[in-house]
Amino acid sequence: MPFPPRPVDTTLHGVVDYTAGATLLSVFPKLAGVEGTRSARQIRAAGAIHAGYSALTDYPLGVVKAIPYKAHLALDALGAVALAATPFVTGQFRKGRRHWVPHVALALFEFSSLAITDPTGYGDYHGDVDAVRRANAEDPHRKIYNGTPAVRPAAAAT
Amino acid sequence: MRANVWSGRNTVQVENVPDPKILNDRDAIVRITSTAICGSDLHLYDGYIPTMKKGDILGHEFMGEVVETGRGVENLQVGDRVVVPFPIACGNCWACKHELYSVCENSNPNWGLAEKAFGHGTAGIFGYSHLTGGYAGGQAEYARVPFADVGPIKIEDDLPDEQVLFLSDIFPTGYMGAEMCDIKGGDVIAVFGAGPVGQFAIASAVMLGAEQVIAIDQYDYRLQMAVNKAGATATINFGEDADIVEQLKLLTGGRGPDAVIDAVGMEAWHGHGAIAAVDRVKQAARIESDRGLALRDAILACRPGGIVSVIGVYGGLMDKFPTGAFMNKALTMRTGQCHVQKYLRPLYEHVKNGDIDPSFVITHRLPLGEAPNGYETFKHKQDECVKVVLKP
Repeated sequence: MPFPPRPVDTTLHGVVDYTAGATLLSVFPKLAGVEGTRSARQIRAAGAIHAGYSALTDYPLGVVKAIPYKAHLALDALGAVALAATPFVTGQFRKGRRHWVPHVALALFEFSSLAITDPTGYGDYHGDVDAVRRANAEDPHRKIYNGTPAVRPAAAAT
Repeated sequence: MRANVWSGRNTVQVENVPDPKILNDRDAIVRITSTAICGSDLHLYDGYIPTMKKGDILGHEFMGEVVETGRGVENLQVGDRVVVPFPIACGNCWACKHELYSVCENSNPNWGLAEKAFGHGTAGIFGYSHLTGGYAGGQAEYARVPFADVGPIKIEDDLPDEQVLFLSDIFPTGYMGAEMCDIKGGDVIAVFGAGPVGQFAIASAVMLGAEQVIAIDQYDYRLQMAVNKAGATATINFGEDADIVEQLKLLTGGRGPDAVIDAVGMEAWHGHGAIAAVDRVKQAARIESDRGLALRDAILACRPGGIVSVIGVYGGLMDKFPTGAFMNKALTMRTGQCHVQKYLRPLYEHVKNGDIDPSFVITHRLPLGEAPNGYETFKHKQDECVKVVLKP
């Protein structure tokens, strides 16, 4: 397997989410030359929605951890498709390239990001702690808090 | 046989794999009776040590019974009970002749690859990526042990596995960390990280005569173990106050500890501050390989003229190394993967004498089939987990 297979973990994905959301809401429409148009409103709406569900995602940078990480990634994909399709659904693509190229470019960026994102959501516990407790032949709490010290001071001092 | 194999980042599985075979005259085959998950296995699990391949058998802490030997192995017999050190060492090269077993010049066939990744090669290591030779590990029912005439130590009494298993790695590693501190009576030693290696560094510092040993971690249960079992005299919980350097100075009359042991390594995570966040993001993006929070604080906290002992695993490059403090405080840094073979016999004697009961760190004893849950529980510090031992 080539390394790294999917280098973007949940933390980095979160950084990209908020950075992209803030950029789309602020300077991106101007940089793309669509300031004041319907395209700008669509792109700002996409940025706001993206930042909004990022804040609700169950990952390290989420504020209210309500949306599972994999559902977040599915929303990313759906959002990218919706954004790319919007100029063609509304017909605004007929006004010229700058009214559809930014949408498609953003969708391609989103899919590129998804392609290198680790979908297992690094950092999220996915073990079965109850199974561990059932199988464990030790009592962790007793081992830590009960009994005497395990070492004799200065036993190896010269 | 059944073995715990790496299946991708954050995924291990217990699978049926072919049994190991004798490949060289100096090999032995060991039927494993106890094996453990090491903190450094988590660097593989997390994907920060490159060159793992799907199906690689993990594990470098194991012991068991010899079931077959090559023609060149004269010191072991079938039926012998042995603990196997994690570095594979030939016993013949310059490094081995100088007891620098973890940099054996002959046991790692992928030395050049490791040189590119780490800046220098290491000895072969069981179950620790193809950078260290691609050897099958010991989280399995059987393992092939190369250079079996050099590494394994025979256990010739009835001490239970749990008391001798950790001679394979974490006890000698912690001991070497403390020994590198040149401890004298009255010394204050600070230990970053109260995980399994940190616990043994603390216990070893106590054994070597340190007057005060300060344990540093963010998990209260681990700090409690450090005090109740390993002999720490004070603790710092950086989850409550992240300024470790300032707290160490407060505990040492403003001067700093005589020596500081970094038992954390490349995935340090104080969880506070912009530098921690930047490190985290840079490592995730592979812009730097090592998060250096613990090592930076160790250097900043150590007293002038003191020793920084690094036994936590690092894998490449870290940013913002405090060279100014390091140089102007006239510090000495000592480090290395443990030369386990050098310490096996004396530490075994300490265990036999009752100077230490290494089984104190074991909080989880699980069947091999529970390895995937064991990894998750250990990684995420669930269920007061300090050390997981697996029984094949």
